[in-house]
Amino acid sequence: MSDDVILIGRIEEGACFTLEELCAACALEQEWVIRRVEEGLFPVSGSAAAEWRFNRVALSRARRMREIERDFDAVPELAALVADMLEEMDELRARLRRAGLA
Amino acid sequence: MEFKDYYHELGVARDAPAEEVKKAYRKLARKYHPDVSKEPDAEKRMKELNEAYAVLSDPEKRAAYDQLGRGYRPGQDFRPPPDWDAGFEFSERGVPGAEAADFSDFFAELFGRMGEPARGPAAHGRGGYHHAKILLDLEDAYTGATRQISLRMPRIDANGRVVLDTRTLNVKIPRGIREGQIIRLAGQGAAGLGKGKAGDLLLEVHFKPHDRLRADGRDLLLTLPVAPWEAALGAVVPVNLPDGTLKVRIPAGAQSGSELRVRGRGIPSDPPGDLLLEIRVVLPPASTPKACELYETMAREMPFDPRRDSEA
Repeated sequence: MSDDVILIGRIEEGACFTLEELCAACALEQEWVIRRVEEGLFPVSGSAAAEWRFNRVALSRARRMREIERDFDAVPELAALVADMLEEMDELRARLRRAGLA
Repeated sequence: MEFKDYYHELGVARDAPAEEVKKAYRKLARKYHPDVSKEPDAEKRMKELNEAYAVLSDPEKRAAYDQLGRGYRPGQDFRPPPDWDAGFEFSERGVPGAEAADFSDFFAELFGRMGEPARGPAAHGRGGYHHAKILLDLEDAYTGATRQISLRMPRIDANGRVVLDTRTLNVKIPRGIREGQIIRLAGQGAAGLGKGKAGDLLLEVHFKPHDRLRADGRDLLLTLPVAPWEAALGAVVPVNLPDGTLKVRIPAGAQSGSELRVRGRGIPSDPPGDLLLEIRVVLPPASTPKACELYETMAREMPFDPRRDSEA
């Protein structure tokens, strides 16, 4: 591609990724995600897997859970608990930034 | 290409048993976990650790690396001999797509040549999605911008080898972009296999810290210093924003800490956000005889006790 081409993307917001896209973005097997959704470890909207939609928080959650499971041989429930806490921390850090304290 | 000493990176001896390698990795993975680590280069170190562990935790890769790396020192210039991996059977082939981009050229040169890429997301032919963060200035949200970004992306070459390409892209940043939004560039992710479509490139937008301004979704937050008389009597004061100066009316009787909302003057999206001004009353120093005299006059002539309510 020539250097002067300017790419224009689509702005995505909210729950915009399908299961297939989530898996492609995080290098995951669909089975891995489906199992965790069924066990209640991975929040999702929509009932059938084909209707599931994921947001950007889900992208980082999937990655974090996979890494914690893999790096520490953690059971999925523990990885989900760690992901819950990291998400809470993200939220608190964002609030600190908004308050000008970080 | 520089030789990488994976044993040195994990802090283990060359003959360390698998269990010890795992233990060392976990200890370091905890220390450098980018979400919690206080170390300055945590993210970079974590990638190096992941790479070292990807090799040393896999008996086949470790054996190949051991044979090849004999006699090399870290940082030494390195070229693998042709067909060096001929004697090895690799059960898990290639590099996992999402992580390959984080690994070094050294890794790609050694283990990228092991035939077909990893199964999984790419198995049906569609190329992997690539997800990266893009750091923007808050000003970009006001004016829009074009940013040049460089990405390392794995690609399968004609011989079935995984190679890491560095790609430079010019991306248009639309006016009104907000923290956390994703710019999706269709077909700009990893190339597909065979006739498979290329994946998408997902750029997650974050703003660099700004010395005066903070963004909260569409809203823009700003601490506005005002003089005591501006707060007490009301005033029209200039506020500098990325797209120019705005004149804002401070209502009479404003207190330090109170918040003024100027509708529609936040990030110029559709609908535009609001501008939130946190009033901070700044006292002039009593540094001249005249200033002291003015404060003394106020003390004498204004019946005011700021602690009256709090001591009730």
